[in-house]
Parts: sequence; C-alpha cells; structure tokens
Amino acid sequence: MSIRWHVDADTVAGYAEGRLDEARAYSLEAHLLGCSDCRALAAGAVRTDAIDGEQLDRMWAGIVDTVDAPRPGLVERALVRLGVRQHVARLLAATPSLRLSWLAAETATLAFAVLAAYGSRGHVPSGSGRLSDLLFLAVVPLLPLGGVAVSYGPGIDPTYEIGLASPMRSFRLLLIRAAAVLAASTVLAGVASLALPGLDWTAAAWLLPSLGLTISSLALATVAPPLWASGAVAFAWIAALTATAATVGDDYAAFRGPTQLAFLIVIGLAAVAVAGRRETFEQRSDG
Amino acid sequence: MSGWTVEIEGVEKRFGRTRALAGVTFNAEAGITGLLGPNGAGKTTLLRMLATVLAPDAGSIRALGRDPSKPEDRLAIRRRLGYMPQEPGFHRNFTAFEFVDYVAILKEMVDRRPRHDEVRRVLDLVDLGPMAGKKIKALSGGMRRRVALAQALLGEPDLLVLDETTAGLDPQQRLRFREVVSDLAEHRTVILSTHQTEDVAALCRRVIVMDEGVTLFDGTPRELSEVARGRVWLADRRAPEARLSWLTGEGRHRNIGDAPDGAELVEPMVEDGYLLLVGHRAVEEVAA
Repeated sequence: MSIRWHVDADTVAGYAEGRLDEARAYSLEAHLLGCSDCRALAAGAVRTDAIDGEQLDRMWAGIVDTVDAPRPGLVERALVRLGVRQHVARLLAATPSLRLSWLAAETATLAFAVLAAYGSRGHVPSGSGRLSDLLFLAVVPLLPLGGVAVSYGPGIDPTYEIGLASPMRSFRLLLIRAAAVLAASTVLAGVASLALPGLDWTAAAWLLPSLGLTISSLALATVAPPLWASGAVAFAWIAALTATAATVGDDYAAFRGPTQLAFLIVIGLAAVAVAGRRETFEQRSDG
Repeated sequence: MSGWTVEIEGVEKRFGRTRALAGVTFNAEAGITGLLGPNGAGKTTLLRMLATVLAPDAGSIRALGRDPSKPEDRLAIRRRLGYMPQEPGFHRNFTAFEFVDYVAILKEMVDRRPRHDEVRRVLDLVDLGPMAGKKIKALSGGMRRRVALAQALLGEPDLLVLDETTAGLDPQQRLRFREVVSDLAEHRTVILSTHQTEDVAALCRRVIVMDEGVTLFDGTPRELSEVARGRVWLADRRAPEARLSWLTGEGRHRNIGDAPDGAELVEPMVEDGYLLLVGHRAVEEVAA
C-alpha cells in the first residue's frame, strides 16, 4: 500500500512533545507504521536529550499498555475502524443485538423477505398495491424494534445491575446502543431494499415506521418492562396493518403519505415522552 | 455532624404479595458492617437499595450523606460506590480484562491508558493478573466471583456494597478477600452480606442479623456471641432442652438453648448467637 500524504511538522512536533489528544495521537501512530518518511520526521522531532525520567516512564507505560492489553474482538475493531471512539466501541461490543449472530439472523430474515417478494411477483395485485413487497415492508420495522429491545435492560444485559449502579447514565447507554442498532438495521434493510423486485417508493416506506415503532417502544418502556413494551408495539403494528388493509381496502395504506405523516407525529411525541421520563431508566422500582 | 456514612430508616419493600423488607432501620460508619441472615431475609434487597439500584416503597436511605431518591445525589453516590451483586452477570465473550475495562468505562474512566492501569491494579488485587486475557466463559466460578469483586474495587470507592462475596471462594481465596477488604475498610465503609459467620467474626466491626425483612440484632460480633452466653453446652447426646443440637466432629453434641443445671457450658461463638436468633431456618440452611 502506498502512502499518498504526510504529516506536517507541527503535528509531529506536537506528538513528540505529548501535546496531541488521544485520538490524534493514535491516528498519527497508525500512519507512522506505514510511512518511513514521517517516521524519520518524528524521530528527528524527539529531543532525546530533553526526555526526563517521567517522560520515559510514560512512554514505557504506553508501550506496556499497547502490548499487554488484549486484542479487542471483531465487532469492536470494526467499530473503531468506522471512527467510533474506543471506549464507546467497547460499550457497543457488549450489546447483544450487535453481535455477529444477531446481525446474521437479521440478514437472513431480510433475505427471506426479499425472496418472498420475488416468489409472489406473479400474484394478482390486491387493492391498489402489489403484494410482492408487502411482507418485506411489514417485517423490516420489526427488526430494529427487536434489536433495541434486546440491547439493554433487566434480563437482557447480564451486567444491567452493575451498570445501573455506575455513574454513567443508563439512559445514555440505552441511547448509544439503540442508535447503533438502528443504524445497523437501517443499513441492512437499505441494502435489502435495493434487491427488491421493481424498485419504487415502497423501497423506503419502512423507514419512518421503523423509527416510529422503535421510539414508541422506548416510550412504553418507561412504564412497562422493556420486553413487554416491544412485544406490545410489535403486536399493535401487525394488528394495525391487518385492520387497515381490511377496512381501507388498500394493503399499502399503512405506508402511504398520510400514515407516514402520522408516524412523524408519533416519533415526535414518543421522543418527547422518552426525554421527559428518562429518569425512570436510572433506578428500578420493581424486582 | 454524625459519623454515619449509611443511614437507613424504616425501609419497606414489597414484590407483589411478598414482603421483602418490613421497616428496617440501621446506621453504619466507616469500617465493615456485615449483614447476616438466612435466604429470604431481605439482605439482597437492602443491599440493592444501598447500591442505588432499587427504590424503597417507604422509609428513607442516605448514603455518603446523600439521598439516592434525588437524581443528582444518586449520581454523586454512584461516583463513590463499588457494588458487587449477589449474582453478577458477565458478557461471557469478554476476557476478564475486557469485562473490568467495560465496567471502568461505565464508571466514567474514559482515558484509555490510566483506565487500563486501574484495570490491571484491581485484577492484581484479586490475584487475577495472570488470567486477565482469559475469556470469562473459560474461568471457574470462583474466578468469576473474583472478577466481579475486581470491578467493584475500581476507582477505590468510598462505599463498597458486596453481596455474598465469599460464596464459591475456596479457603485461600476467602483469606485473600479478607485481606483486601480489611485493607480497604480502614478509611471506607464496606457493607457486605454473607452466610459465613466466620467472615463476620473475622472481618466485621458491626453485624446486623436479619430475618423475614426485619432486623433481629444490631451490634458487634462479640455482642452477637454474647447472646448465646450460658446457653451453649456440650453433652454426649442430644439434650431434650436444646433448641438446636448437632454432633460435632469430636463425637459430642453441641447444644444451644436453655442449659440444664450442671451442663458443661462452653464459650459461645458468633455462630451460636446467630443460630439462637434465627433458629431452625438457619440450621436448615447450614445443613444444606
């Protein structure tokens, strides 16, 4: 691999004097590994006559730490490569719904939904829409909903009680994990959407329902156990889809403009409710 | 100003129809306070409240001079708290180092190098330094409990809440635990629950005996053993007057209860006082 850029002298001097912040120092160290020119520049910038015992100890501690610390797992390394800060990556690596097994299951579910869309292409249209990708649209919003439900909470996270007794706010941890799960699910579903037969507006019609269901479940989780909340929202989603199709006579009614607008309102209201009741995530009142 | 670091007043808690705590009151100061009691006594519920995890239905709790029902006070307590739950859960794919590092991040230790130094320090304290790179799922039950203890020691907390810490530890590990905790307790408050009366006798400045959600005794270990003074005697067979009696390894019965005239009274131990207070429920537990 050829290096096409070089570090400027000020940055190297800052590194040599220990003035760079942690993230920039790591970035520079990663570059130095592959660039002999910059290594030479850095070697020249280090004034060995000015290094005192304390600096040497600090450097040695850094070397020991780098060598001695266990190598992070695959998910954690991938997150760091994507630009996630190391300590946040470790918090995310402990998220059950960001494990490879969960992501594989999610991918398989999406693949089946896409295959089902291809399988039903020849069917007679129902109402004013096509049946081919209706299953896909119904299933996709359930994936982040399930992912967030199993990302944090009692009975889900084995270190839940230790986390609750720690100063980091549980609400913040929940939001970090929910955002990561939502992002991962959205990327997977987005890729799967591109594989649907007959790409049109319906390929993105799951986006607001996904957000709406997930945030609604978080809002409900402020008054009920998280798994119950997610289950209730999932049930309500399926019931609403069925009822809408039966009463309106349009299988796609739940995904058209007025309903998308309704989802936007739900997202706003649920977000306000979650923010207003965030303290309920910080202490348990039940068992 | 009082020297109490923990003040518990009339605390009550119900889980559905089950009454877990029925008006518990006690204070604790720097040093080690032990909670002793049979299963279902309410010890774990009380410790979870002290660890700010669980809110009481009634009564008041103050820890380190703050009220955990107020969000800002709760956060302040958590910044000075170390907590080891009765059944600590683990992310089993993490190594011991990664797990403790994960908890260190939850404890707001963001800078990697000082955090890693602290993780190594606490793992060394529980003699797990050489095992730091092992996956949690490959560790024995006793080692996992030591990992759980290590995370509670992160940041040298002022209040340490330890629930059944010595369960599953071998005698050598228990001695090491006593060393570590007694060193820590010189200037800190440690509240621990245990089934082991030996731990209480060896470690605790004060002992609280609980049963069925209430406090039966609050005093020093010596005072607890004094509860049984004049009521423990040895005999060649089970005495009918004894409330509790068992055959010792020396082939004689140790009887506890109202001693008959002329009985061969012996020096009572903490365990005798405890057994007298909680009776057959504790005996069944000891036998189990």
